[in-house]
Amino acid sequence: MSNSESSIIQFERATFGFPGIIALKDITLSISAGQFVGVIGPNGSGKTTLCRAVLGLMAPLEGHLHIFDCACDELRCHHRAQIGYLPQKGVVDRNFPVTVLETVMMGRYGALGLLKRPSGKDREIAMEALAHVGMESHRDTALGHLSGGQQQRVFIARALAQQPKVLLLDEPTTGLDITTQHNVIELVQHLHEELKLTVLLITHDINMIRSRVDRLVLLKTRLYASGPPADVLKPDILRQVYGKDLVITDKDLLIVEDYHHHHH
Amino acid sequence: MLDLFTYDFMQRSLLAAAMVGGLCSAVGVFVVLRGLAFVGAGTSHAAFAGVALGYLMGWPPLGLAILFGLATVWITGWMEERGRMKLDVSIGILYTTTMALAILFIGLMKAYNAEVYGYLFGSVLSVTGDELRTIGGLGLLVLGVILLFSKELYFIAFDQEMAEASGVPARRMFFLLLTVIALTVVVSMKTVGAILVFAMILIPASTAYQLTHSLTTLTWYSVAIGVTTSVAGVMISALWDVPSGPAIVLLATTMFFLSVLFSPKRINRPLLSA
Repeated sequence: MSNSESSIIQFERATFGFPGIIALKDITLSISAGQFVGVIGPNGSGKTTLCRAVLGLMAPLEGHLHIFDCACDELRCHHRAQIGYLPQKGVVDRNFPVTVLETVMMGRYGALGLLKRPSGKDREIAMEALAHVGMESHRDTALGHLSGGQQQRVFIARALAQQPKVLLLDEPTTGLDITTQHNVIELVQHLHEELKLTVLLITHDINMIRSRVDRLVLLKTRLYASGPPADVLKPDILRQVYGKDLVITDKDLLIVEDYHHHHH
Repeated sequence: MLDLFTYDFMQRSLLAAAMVGGLCSAVGVFVVLRGLAFVGAGTSHAAFAGVALGYLMGWPPLGLAILFGLATVWITGWMEERGRMKLDVSIGILYTTTMALAILFIGLMKAYNAEVYGYLFGSVLSVTGDELRTIGGLGLLVLGVILLFSKELYFIAFDQEMAEASGVPARRMFFLLLTVIALTVVVSMKTVGAILVFAMILIPASTAYQLTHSLTTLTWYSVAIGVTTSVAGVMISALWDVPSGPAIVLLATTMFFLSVLFSPKRINRPLLSA
């Protein structure tokens, strides 16, 4: 639950995009240490832009973004190594000739800096990260030989090997079967609780995370709502964002059909 | 037959082949993994235009080759980064432009110049002591850079954006890789020729790619294959009096097809990988 700890990610009336194409407009949002935050919104709502902004890959066109004690009004931030990032599936070539341990070791490279060789200590950290996701017995397996869910665990371990303060996950369940989706989200929740990690989870699947997150952030270029799930998941708010793609089947069950699942 | 190896020229060419083979195949690992195959091919033609200009004007050909090669890779990298153009398109344009320049420069020469053609087709058997020292010096520089920055280079080959997101200076590393590719091409041109040098970069790493799932093992395999095929190619060339460049490349290609046929990846890979 959100406590009174200081905010570690702070957007102040921040606008992101490229001149002529605004992806996120006038966002004011503050995320405190230790929160589990779900970021939701339809396709093209700026979720991935938010992710790139937090990673320090995009500077605000207007407004300000502070991450930790760093003002990210220009790029070249030094906070990046402190954010463990799981990119969207499909971004990374999963048949790249690399073993599980080699993949996780890459998580150490940013923090190590140039010209430094990974030491035994770094290997230990990587093995510990693998243990956290239950994949330590696969250390020498080829990444391409793992199932989609196992690969996702390895990528989460790579993020953990950075010993991050924040875990940033972009659609971690896309392309996985339903059981595996649950396992991955359970793992994330477990890591949030055990390692006291701040988690930012971007997803289409509201149902999967609504009962687990402390807070939901609803985006569609602008910030439509932010707060405890019960306050955000109200039909009138959701209908503003999703329009006719919103289907409410039951007072407890919400299904938001997204554009790419929808047959027009 | 063994008499042949007591000749100075033969020892020099074997040494040159081993160095070039090792160098190209080490750089090749990153080229193959980062998907820069076409960049290398374009660079070798640009570097050849530099050589031709050098002989035309009486300027040092190697220096101009380096200049042309570096200009090509940097312009390409810059264009990709700006998102102005896809890499294959910009390289395609630079590739043909520099080749047009090379043909123009050769056409402007008053007399036939065999040395220029040496750079185009490769002539490892005529490598001089000076050239050997240049290959050695630049080769050491390139290998040093690769060793120093190997972890960053592997990471950007795997995923440049993820590397950047985790605090690795990925853009600078990308340009360093492009620079290293250009230098390698120039260093190797005299041995295997501008047309075939790229085979030396591509084939050993692609062969190794078939044989292992580990980055470290991949690199060692690639270098071993590169050195072996280069040296064996020169020996074949000397013993049967065939041109050295094609001997090296065709030998490497044979290894590649064998590795595809007998790839453990092919046999072990699950039919459906989720």
